[in-house]
Amino acid sequence: MSQGFRAPSSFALSAVSAFWHRFSDMVQYNFKKITKVPTGKDFVDIVLSRTQRQTPTVVHKGYAINRIRQFYMRKVKFTQTNFHEKLSTIIEEFPRLDDIHPFYGDLLHVLYNKDHYKLALGQINTARNLIGKIAKDYVKLLKYGDSLYRCKALKVAALGRMCTVTKRIGPSLAYLDQIRQHMARLPSIDPNTRTILICGYPNVGKSSFINKITRADVDVQPYAFTTKSLFVGHTDYKYLRYQVIDTPGILDRPFEDRNIIEMCSITALAHLRAAVLFFLDISGSCGYTIAQQSALFHSIKSLFMNKPLIIVCNKTDLQSLEGISEDDKKLVEEMKSEAMKTLIGQGGEPREGAEVLLTMSTLTEEGVIAVKNAACERLLDQRVEIKMKSKKINDCLNRFHVAVPKPRDQKERPPCIPQAVLEAKAKEAEKEKKRLERDLEEENGGAGVYSASLKKHYLLANDEWKEDNMPEILDGHNVYDFVDPDILQRLEELEKEEGLLQEQEDDEVDMDVEDLTPQQQKELAEIRKKKSLLIREHRIKKSTAESRPTVPRKFDKDKKFTSERMGRQLSSLGLDPSKAMERVRSKSRGRKRERSTDHGGDDMNVDDDGSNKKMRVRLLSRSGSRSRSRPPTDVVVPGEGFKDSAQKVKAFKLGKKSVQKRNKDARKGEGDRVIPTLKPKHLFSGKRSNGKTTRR
Amino acid sequence: MTLRFTSLVNQVPRTRVKTTFCASITIFHPSACHFTMATRLRFENSCEIGVFTKLTNAYCLVANEGSESFYSVFESELADVIPVVKTSIGGTRIIGRLCIGNKKGLLLPHTTTDQELQHLKNSLPDAVVVQRINERLSALGNCMACNDHVALTHTDLDKETEEMIADVLGVEVFRQTIAGNVLVGSYCAFSNRGGLVHPHTSVEDLDELSTLLQVPLVAGTVNRGSEVIAGGLTVNDWTAFCGSDTTATELSVIENVFKLREAQSNAIVDEARKSLVATYV
Repeated sequence: MSQGFRAPSSFALSAVSAFWHRFSDMVQYNFKKITKVPTGKDFVDIVLSRTQRQTPTVVHKGYAINRIRQFYMRKVKFTQTNFHEKLSTIIEEFPRLDDIHPFYGDLLHVLYNKDHYKLALGQINTARNLIGKIAKDYVKLLKYGDSLYRCKALKVAALGRMCTVTKRIGPSLAYLDQIRQHMARLPSIDPNTRTILICGYPNVGKSSFINKITRADVDVQPYAFTTKSLFVGHTDYKYLRYQVIDTPGILDRPFEDRNIIEMCSITALAHLRAAVLFFLDISGSCGYTIAQQSALFHSIKSLFMNKPLIIVCNKTDLQSLEGISEDDKKLVEEMKSEAMKTLIGQGGEPREGAEVLLTMSTLTEEGVIAVKNAACERLLDQRVEIKMKSKKINDCLNRFHVAVPKPRDQKERPPCIPQAVLEAKAKEAEKEKKRLERDLEEENGGAGVYSASLKKHYLLANDEWKEDNMPEILDGHNVYDFVDPDILQRLEELEKEEGLLQEQEDDEVDMDVEDLTPQQQKELAEIRKKKSLLIREHRIKKSTAESRPTVPRKFDKDKKFTSERMGRQLSSLGLDPSKAMERVRSKSRGRKRERSTDHGGDDMNVDDDGSNKKMRVRLLSRSGSRSRSRPPTDVVVPGEGFKDSAQKVKAFKLGKKSVQKRNKDARKGEGDRVIPTLKPKHLFSGKRSNGKTTRR
Repeated sequence: MTLRFTSLVNQVPRTRVKTTFCASITIFHPSACHFTMATRLRFENSCEIGVFTKLTNAYCLVANEGSESFYSVFESELADVIPVVKTSIGGTRIIGRLCIGNKKGLLLPHTTTDQELQHLKNSLPDAVVVQRINERLSALGNCMACNDHVALTHTDLDKETEEMIADVLGVEVFRQTIAGNVLVGSYCAFSNRGGLVHPHTSVEDLDELSTLLQVPLVAGTVNRGSEVIAGGLTVNDWTAFCGSDTTATELSVIENVFKLREAQSNAIVDEARKSLVATYV
């Protein structure tokens, strides 16, 4: 299995870094989406049944031979395309080991053997080509088929041969399906992200550690090789997510003797640019001495090159680092100095703060977080250093820049944090839970049932006003057009003005009071008051009317000008209103139709002499080749019914006057009272097709 | 609730993130750090919460007809201090994009109905002037951004509107663009203590804007890389709300630059720098 695997020295980082750049933008590896690979038999069934279903099935020997040939050619070709399609998906979906990240490449090689894998895919490819060739040959032969029987025989032969080819690759298909299932279960490791790799001898507490710092929930048992494959967990440090990989234990033995489980660890160590935590069981309870573990460390230390390395002494609850023997101490020191070299290898000075040897106990959780933080910090430092050197940093420089304002004037611009916030912050602890709208909703029937009032938080002068209904439209006016926040203030102003006017009036009255009787004085004051009121009213009306047209009195909504009012007014002036009112009423009611005297046609023309009549008849009977010429308004034409020109002019004037009002209302004539068609038939009858709602 | 970030062992300080999903997802509120920190939430599965809310130092407007739990997030954070008002503007819920305001006033677009205007006048304290303005660019929230002292506006805004802003909101008005975008209201968010702007704003522009606004500024993103800052973030002087897609790194930038939780804006260059480099580059 491992013979094709390259020796650790050949895992030189040159290859890794070359791939690093190529894959840095690649998406995460996901082998879960590979389609299922059917077995050879299923494969044949699927393709043939599809041919049966999706190609014509009825053919007759009486058909023209060309048609028969075409019928079978189509079947052959269709089958071939289906085989080709299905085999192509397999070839395309399985990753090519040379194209994917070397970590996955080698991992797949370790797990499934590259040669075997390539062979299987190669066979699929060959089968695809063979089937193509078969189809081509038989289509050529079908061109020479001279009867239905021969054509059919050729088709059967073609399909048969294709199926045979497929059956022959049955074992490869089965193998690939197994691999597919296994690959789907591989942990989704992103080879390019921040990674912490845990390695060491079996049973030194690697899985316990990953369980402590992530939620991976790896099985932990007190025997060696509990972990048989790679496991992934995720942890957070400084707002960033780190991928933590638990590897199976490694034994210290020659490379060729290592089994698949160990090779998984080696692969991960070789290809992942990660912070490496080398676990050391200083108590020796794992069954291996510190010396053995140290030997392993030195045999795989080439894999730690250029990676932040931390040696973690685990199980300090059983044995403290100080308590180990002198020889062991020396070995640990040796490892530490090796680890220090990786620190220097990074190009950085060996800093005081950077720790390469840490102790912890996963049992008591002592030092676990320190180890995690140290590893994350070292890794972050290294990655940031590399990134700072890249060109991409220039595009992001503004993101690390805090622009601090330069003072441009002396103005103070303080923040505005209400006192209540600061107080609430202070006594946050004792604050009881507030009843929120959410709770109210829950209590009152839940979402969709509860409907919160928008008005309940209104800030009004009087709390009772909160739920008051406010009309939106009143007497055909939008109420909000008349809402004036300063109404009270304006009213006050008006009243003041009125008071002033009153005073003025009083003064005026005083002025010419001498030559009037008290009775007259009173009347005069009354008249003046009324006059000023009228003027004011008119002014207000004018100012509020703005751009509205002046509406004739008839349309006056206030219904001010009633006959009763007129009566009241007249009687207040000491006149008898009864006659005037009667007249008004008779006018407004309209005149009853009077009995008409019988007007014969002849009677109408009683004044006319014969010749004139004849002429007029002729004139009238002439069709409208030209309009009738009319005499000027002041010229009396016989037959118009006017005594003299003065009467005619007067009548004209009256006539014009009578239509003045109507014209002002923009009416056509007496009968112009428009009732719009409420439901125009053409919009409401018949069926509606798309887009015919408004116009048909 | 699905935690995006795998949680840590108990002693590890939890990522200082309060996650709040609304509508159909349960809500959890760690009682600690009640005030002065960013809250993550979403409005009906949308992370663009700045569209549906308007937060100032004197009031908070929330779109109505949303879920009560969305409203309650603001209510629990703010209702003790400032009024939280449910409203629509012009019958729409995108109130954050349509109006602009600070502690002194609120400007509404001409599409606002009389009823909405009255409702807002009734709900907001008398100290806040509510004014409807006739501006052709009616999405005022997109066209301008302001704090209590300064406002940035779209370059094509009317002269009258500019005067109105200065009068009603009591601010200095600057016509500006942010990283070449005229919609300054969409691409930045700032309070009296700090501001976040479009990620493509150059360092020189940042310095210039910062001097205009007299607050520290940082270029950044919200909602996992969204550059429409004001869409995903709504902020005042002591608290911030952002879309639930916002990552921990983005949140740390927000908390630092807006000085929430006693954070300082230069923490971005000091402590969080490495995380930022690791994230962006």
